[in-house]
Amino acid sequence: MILGDFGTSYCKFLDLAAPGGEPSIIATKELPSQTRVDLATGHLGKRFADRYVNELIALARGGEALIEEDEYVLLDCGSRDIKFIKYQNGKLADMGWNAECGASMGFTIELLERYYELDYTQLRVPEQTFSVTCGVLGMSDIFDAVISGVPVAEAVARFVKGIALNAYRFAGSPPHLYLSGGLCDNPLFVGSFPCQVTVLGRFVLLRGLEAEARQPNPPTQA
Amino acid sequence: MNLDPRPSIAILSRFRKIGIIGVPPLEVIRKANEHGLIIHDLDEPLVREDLETASPFLPRVYCAILRTAVVNALHLELDAIYVDTGPGKCDCALHTATILAEALPIPVIRTRNTDTEAFGTPLCQARHRLIERMLAITAGVKSAAPYQNQPPTCAPTAGFWGVPPRDFSILELFPETTHIYGWARCMENKTPADHDLEAEFNPEVPTVFFAQSFCAKTALARYLAKKHPHALYLDVDVHTTSSARAKVQAFLELSGVKA
Repeated sequence: MILGDFGTSYCKFLDLAAPGGEPSIIATKELPSQTRVDLATGHLGKRFADRYVNELIALARGGEALIEEDEYVLLDCGSRDIKFIKYQNGKLADMGWNAECGASMGFTIELLERYYELDYTQLRVPEQTFSVTCGVLGMSDIFDAVISGVPVAEAVARFVKGIALNAYRFAGSPPHLYLSGGLCDNPLFVGSFPCQVTVLGRFVLLRGLEAEARQPNPPTQA
Repeated sequence: MNLDPRPSIAILSRFRKIGIIGVPPLEVIRKANEHGLIIHDLDEPLVREDLETASPFLPRVYCAILRTAVVNALHLELDAIYVDTGPGKCDCALHTATILAEALPIPVIRTRNTDTEAFGTPLCQARHRLIERMLAITAGVKSAAPYQNQPPTCAPTAGFWGVPPRDFSILELFPETTHIYGWARCMENKTPADHDLEAEFNPEVPTVFFAQSFCAKTALARYLAKKHPHALYLDVDVHTTSSARAKVQAFLELSGVKA
């Protein structure tokens, strides 16, 4: 059985029948149009599979599979949106999905890295930050700062920190959070959270799909 | 604009087709029924016109239900419009009434519904498709007749708190055993200003607290959702977005609610 997490910028796959079971990743813009999987999630998932699991459910199932505690907040920061699941006493206590306001954060961070030829592994977490609620709207803060003499790298770092703080508040400002999604690979972003962060990587939704796939009578979602 | 509702009720006999925004007092509806008037509930999408046609009159960032009411008012041939602007509606409706009164060549009559006679809430507690029960509740605003053939009450497995949404498609996600709370329940009870009834919820069942984006009721919805032990707060603007659908779907499934 092939599982697919079809994100806006990257698609992740896991073949449950393959030895080792390691996930693979491909840029969405390079994805062959005839791609088909058995079970899908993600922004574009419905186009590539007959059976689809919505991203919040996949995230929650992934959290249940990977996190042993009964109480936790799991935040997923992707290219297009941010979403979180909060569990208390082993049960769902809160959740959120911000795809409208607060959108395109991950995409914008990657765009800025390429445009300004930056390396996020080399940028330190700045003391100052921008008040960023949206990747697109936050761009103007960068331009304003650069015009006023702030170095580009510093301005972008403030923007990234602003995005991390916004995501942190969106998740309810917990003292500790588990982080999922493509931004786990960005040390500047991860280091900008004002709380303890446990990085789970970008394959949490695939793990959630795996848990769904192994259910004896899985619910079908069109 | 007429500020006194009594003569407005008296002149109902002159009209053939009226529009209503919110829930006008039962006396207005009763007289309209007696005179056989056609009543259009302007809060619902009735005409195939772009919501943008309301933009010269209301800001784009405004309650989608009132923007819909303005579009209906602009495109339907009506003899008068009755707008409830009392404690059972909102300031946004009050200001919309002011704007419509100047924009339209017909009487726009403000009412203040403080009705307290309870008609009951059988549909809110029945077992049936949620979308059809909500349609019946909103249709009921056009009649003053007591309810007949009331369906039996069922044990709830989920709750929907809030107003009838502008886009009913969100309701398709709920099981038949979902009980309705909030202003929609007040609507069925024909007591839209009953704030105590509006604030009621059942802490025993997972409940979605819904409000239209940019509506004052977002504050109440979020406040009650925080008090409820197992709740999802949700606001939706014109159409139900895929993320809103996914949130409800995930909330119900992860809460163990069977479809």
